[in-house]
Amino acid sequence: MTEEEIKKLLREADKTAGGIAPVRVNLSAIRRRAGRRNMIILVAPLASAAVLMVALSILALMFRTAEPTPEQEKIALLETQIKQLQARTDAALGLIQEVLEEERKQSRLDELQAQLASIPDPLEEVQNQVDKTAFVLVYQADRLYRELNQTDSAVENYNRVIALFPENRWAKVARQRLSEIENKKNLIKQI
Amino acid sequence: MAEIIDDEILIEQFRRGDESAFERIVERYSADVAALANRLLGWPGEVEDVTQEIFLAAFLGLKKFRSECSLKSWLFIITINKCRSYRYRWKLRHLQAIPIPINGIGMRLPPAEEGDSPMNAEDFQRVRLAVAALPARYREPVVLRYLQELGTDEISRILGISKNTLHVRLSRARKHLREKLTEIIE
Repeated sequence: MTEEEIKKLLREADKTAGGIAPVRVNLSAIRRRAGRRNMIILVAPLASAAVLMVALSILALMFRTAEPTPEQEKIALLETQIKQLQARTDAALGLIQEVLEEERKQSRLDELQAQLASIPDPLEEVQNQVDKTAFVLVYQADRLYRELNQTDSAVENYNRVIALFPENRWAKVARQRLSEIENKKNLIKQI
Repeated sequence: MAEIIDDEILIEQFRRGDESAFERIVERYSADVAALANRLLGWPGEVEDVTQEIFLAAFLGLKKFRSECSLKSWLFIITINKCRSYRYRWKLRHLQAIPIPINGIGMRLPPAEEGDSPMNAEDFQRVRLAVAALPARYREPVVLRYLQELGTDEISRILGISKNTLHVRLSRARKHLREKLTEIIE
């Protein structure tokens, strides 16, 4: 079946259908409907806005005046309690952290002090050496005087101690010894 | 050409508020619009309601018409759209699986005119059914090309498709019609 045959068939059918009666377009009806439509276009947004406002006002009133149910009250109370516990927990945790920090610092301090303490005091060391030296000199002087009867050497040593370590306690001892020797000499002279 | 200029004048007058210009547009094009609607809807014979709808849409849209096509083409575009929604509403109301001419109400077989060699009633019904059975995307090009005798450029513009697409659709429409109507020719 060719295109022309199809076209011919369709045209025959169209002819068979016959023409239609002249159509009367009702212009006044069109104008009326167009006017109504324009009115709707103008009014519809305003009406929608008004309805929305009323709905929102009703909702606002409902939420304001509505009494909370017992379950809602319980939930609200529990939420408050949870918040309070949370705050207390946070505070306690903060405190614990502070304490731990303090302990850490103290521990470090103790460590450093122990280290410091373990280091010998050099002044003390020197003092000890001085003391030792003064003692040895006094001891030698004592031996020279009491055991070896070398009074002059003993006096020399005593004087050396006094000269070198005047503030030392063994210098004091040395002075006492010198005083004893002087007294003994004076006694012998009197006799 | 004169007609186009006249149309532009009428449109301009309407835009300025002269509603009588629209009356003249209706007078000029109502027959063509009604004929196209009649063919698109499967020759129901009565198309006053849908024609009224078409011209209401034209009245409301004419001020925005930008003359991208001729006024006649624009009215044909509105006609095609209105016929589509008319068919759709009819289908929703009736929900029939078998495609029958959409205006089931008052469907009549037109009387044979004297002196013509019209189709017999049975052949006419077959052609009607075959055309009604075509999907809209095939039926519309068929009506515009073979019955309204419009050119491919104008049809492409009216349907908003390319010429290639138009040729493809016409070709497929012919294939459908061949399957249904070969016996009539034979």
